[in-house]
Amino acid sequence: MILDRLAREVEALIFASERPLSIEQLCEYTGSGEDSIHQALDRLNKSFLDQQHALTIVEVAGGFRIATDREFGDVVSQLFEGRKPGKLSRAALETMAVIAYSQPCTRIAIESIRGVNCDSAIRTLLERDMIRISGRMETPGRPLLYSTTTAFLEYFGLSNLDHLPRFDEIEELLGMSSSEMEERDLFGSGD
Amino acid sequence: MENTALGNSYRIELDAFEGPLDLLLYLLRRDEIDIYDIPVAHVADQFLNYIRAARELDLDIASEYLVMAATLTKMKSKALLPSHKYDGEEEADPGAELRRQLILYRTFRVIAEELQRSEETWTEIYTSPGERERWSSDSFEIEPGQATLLDLLKALNSLTEGEAELPSQRIQRTLLTISECIDSLESRIVPGKIFSFREIIGPEPARLRIVSYFITILELVRRGWIYCHQAYPFSEIELQRTERWSVDS
Repeated sequence: MILDRLAREVEALIFASERPLSIEQLCEYTGSGEDSIHQALDRLNKSFLDQQHALTIVEVAGGFRIATDREFGDVVSQLFEGRKPGKLSRAALETMAVIAYSQPCTRIAIESIRGVNCDSAIRTLLERDMIRISGRMETPGRPLLYSTTTAFLEYFGLSNLDHLPRFDEIEELLGMSSSEMEERDLFGSGD
Repeated sequence: MENTALGNSYRIELDAFEGPLDLLLYLLRRDEIDIYDIPVAHVADQFLNYIRAARELDLDIASEYLVMAATLTKMKSKALLPSHKYDGEEEADPGAELRRQLILYRTFRVIAEELQRSEETWTEIYTSPGERERWSSDSFEIEPGQATLLDLLKALNSLTEGEAELPSQRIQRTLLTISECIDSLESRIVPGKIFSFREIIGPEPARLRIVSYFITILELVRRGWIYCHQAYPFSEIELQRTERWSVDS
């Protein structure tokens, strides 16, 4: 399969860019429409696949970038030995989940959902750039507000916050009273 | 409650749980209890058993567990007492808030598991170029204005951490006398031209140089060898040589 000019332009742009390129940026730089860009991306990924490359183009953190196949994780990880941070603890993951859906939110709000002190989990997430301090709530004591970062999207392979699992349903759940909630229990059967 | 049972069947340490809600959900699942129909007395007893077992093992019990134990005990005693209902006054269901907490927590626990699966996948995938370059090099640059309080704290920590011994250096005291300064200006400040103070001290001057030349300028003004002009505070100081310099010296 011979790639057309547009697909190769898109490939070059994504390869050379410092940041993930959004669909709008790709349209602007190539002077093409969104549909053509999407098709070009499909052609590129098909050609990567056909020729058994170790690469694909993925959409993550609001843009497109070239990514290695999961299969080569072990080989590639050698490049970053000793520098790559370990996996997040359960406490950190739970705290991350609460912040992702109710951001910007205070430590108290996180703790009221988890029912447990979250100081160290928040500190870990801050240190790993998964969350940032995004302001203060204008209530007595002006507590700090936490929000997620681009690094968070990147780390969990999310293209944007709307792509969090069951985003709308959980947003709704957070605003519910206890009686409303009982009618809309999301994971009731699974537990 | 048999004390013998404590040592054996409650061996699971509280450390394994992410707080009282997690423990409570575990107890509900273990005893196949519906979250909407919690037998308060039973669950309260089970929960307290854990706390006691943990105490016997001399484990630190986080205060959150004790709060939950107190809440459950209160619910249990309320359930045992006959309830008085007055007309027009609806008694709040004491279990409703706990159920709300459990449902919310359970929801986020499921989400956390989903995030963990994503983490599992994406930790094996490398993108280029990417945010992952944060840890691909030992130091990543922070754009001016982008540094956060945390960056500063990290920087401070890196100074105090590890090697306590700071590199020392002998500093040589340099002298720059006013007469040396005047000599050097003599040849540089030509008559008829306007010079700025910044030009005189040169790029990236040492503090000593700035101070010496500033005092020199004051001295030259006193002697009437130069004119000095500054439009407003902290603006550029402009200097011009007078006839008198050549006459006097």
